[in-house]
Amino acid sequence: MLKMHNIRKSYRTDTIETHALRDFSLEVDEGEFVSVTGPSGSGKTTFLNIAGLLETPTGGEYRLDGEDVSNLNDRQRSRLRNEKIGFIFQGFNLIPDLNLFDNIDVPLRYRGFNAKERKKRIEKVLDQVGLSARAKHLPAQLSGGQQQRVAIARALAGEPRFLLADEPTGNLDSLMARQVMELLEFINEWGTTIVMVTHDPDLARRAHRNIQIVDGQVSDLHRATAPATAEIA
Amino acid sequence: MIGYYISLALRSLRSTPILSALMVAAIAVGVGAAMTTLTLNYMMSRNALAEKNEVLYAVQLDSWSATNGVDNSSEMPWQVTYQDAVRLLRSDIPSNQVAMHRWGGPITLENSEIRPFIADARVTSRDFFALFDVPFIYGGTWTAEADNNPVQQIVLSEKTNDRLFGGENSVGRSVNFNGAAFTVVGVTEHWQPSPKVHDLNNGHFNDSAEIFLPFGLHRQFEIYPWGNTNGWKSEEINSYEDRLNSDMVWLQYWVQLDSAEQVERYGDFLTGYIREQKAQGRFPRPLKFGLSHPSEWLTLNEVVDGDDRMLSWLSLAFLLVCLVNAVALLLAKFLRKAPEAGVRRALGASRQSVFSQHLVESGCVGLAGGLVGILLTLAGLGLIRQLQMGYMDRVAAMDWAMMLAAIGLAVLSSLLAGLYPAWRISRTNPSIYLKTQ
Repeated sequence: MLKMHNIRKSYRTDTIETHALRDFSLEVDEGEFVSVTGPSGSGKTTFLNIAGLLETPTGGEYRLDGEDVSNLNDRQRSRLRNEKIGFIFQGFNLIPDLNLFDNIDVPLRYRGFNAKERKKRIEKVLDQVGLSARAKHLPAQLSGGQQQRVAIARALAGEPRFLLADEPTGNLDSLMARQVMELLEFINEWGTTIVMVTHDPDLARRAHRNIQIVDGQVSDLHRATAPATAEIA
Repeated sequence: MIGYYISLALRSLRSTPILSALMVAAIAVGVGAAMTTLTLNYMMSRNALAEKNEVLYAVQLDSWSATNGVDNSSEMPWQVTYQDAVRLLRSDIPSNQVAMHRWGGPITLENSEIRPFIADARVTSRDFFALFDVPFIYGGTWTAEADNNPVQQIVLSEKTNDRLFGGENSVGRSVNFNGAAFTVVGVTEHWQPSPKVHDLNNGHFNDSAEIFLPFGLHRQFEIYPWGNTNGWKSEEINSYEDRLNSDMVWLQYWVQLDSAEQVERYGDFLTGYIREQKAQGRFPRPLKFGLSHPSEWLTLNEVVDGDDRMLSWLSLAFLLVCLVNAVALLLAKFLRKAPEAGVRRALGASRQSVFSQHLVESGCVGLAGGLVGILLTLAGLGLIRQLQMGYMDRVAAMDWAMMLAAIGLAVLSSLLAGLYPAWRISRTNPSIYLKTQ
């Protein structure tokens, strides 16, 4: 699903060049649930941004679903991001002015679906995350856990094959975090590949595989000792 | 997607009402100032004879001195002499031709309680009404004989007919003008070209004539024109006949030439006429005449002068200042919403999508600014009308074309103002905002 080979990413100012990723290589198979851990500043988010086509690497090769994305232009990268990748962020990143329905509608608009198709998909994912009754509510009217479920619904509405989650439970209490994690596991069971950055070792252990990034390189790979179990919250 | 962008724009404008109001105000004030002066210029330079522009010609004959110019702006006199006018009228080439000038005097009814009043008159050959398409309510023009002989017939304007006869059909009735009885043969509908293209020598925007009199009355009434009379040489004038035969110019001359062939023939006619006059010692300068369409005539007469144009440029410069303010406000608004743009980019919006979305928002600001700008323009024009200059009622007015132009200017301005802010927001790195939001 995801194949990175010798990816490099550096940020340059007038006086300093910072290497965020150095010869970073990783493969994630279709249907895998991979957790990514590492200390702050190790390059986890840079990896996630490159994986999500939000940033371009300085060097190296990146293939997503078999397609070399290194030389795609902005329009092609945006289309690929819209069709194949779903994002879940620590801060939820819901658009505050839009109600839940319209928030989930955003990626579907860029996909070019007609109104009927969009409505069908939005109602389906809202039902999956248990928030059908709140469709007309604004994000500010929901709890943190509910907002993250909306963000997950938005990520799922386009039926992506690849879900990138950046500390999806970082802003949630333990109960909410557990519910969100169970939701992600359920989604993964249905075949969506998930890469999740987290600081929480307990959550990391629930993934099929954990990789640790240190100083911009993969330092360790762990296979989960037992397959993750999931049930919808 | 344009519908989606418009709905997002309206939502965005509602979410920041004060900032949105400031942006709309910046555009509206600039557009209002610009459109006020542009409307004045537009109305002042409007060609009231546009429908017949291609077939009407103002005639100029270069009968002037060999050594002295007419004035600083023209090589040929604006008007023609009486003797030339009379001879030109004999040509059968034009479809219609008019020799005319302004006059006036007291008018009243015999045995009436209506108090006499001074009426502004136009002494003209009978083709005037056909050439300028002046419509009649009652009757028509005078007989052809009246162009050459003293026939005391008169055509009233609608306003004068209302005043004297309460708007009734007055054809056949008698009015007293300058102490003589005239028979009414026609009443024209209200006819007020603005600018007054047919006679720019007597005020570009003055009221049109209240009565019309036949050209053949000159000798009987010894008519001295109201308005400009110019001469270039010392002439001994001891009688009215001397005046009619002088080289003083005081008549306007127009012809209607419907085909290129007519234009060519009339040009040949004027050439022949000038050669004939030269042989008699007149027209000392090189042979020259002018045939100007109404649009050209307006330009030659500088109906919109340099000061008016300068004012328009200044108002456009003011609009530019307002646009710079709008750019700053749009930039502030858009950059405040950069995190949302970052989310949209992550969800599949291309840079172009983000750019288009924000440009549409700029356009919506412009549309609102244009509508408010029209109100400000109307207020500005109303203020100008308060200056008590009579013709301003006609000039300081906004028509549909200028209203549409105001909207167009506002939207175009706001799109230009929005280009940079929309470009900036579309180029921001979404990952920065996704992590920090």
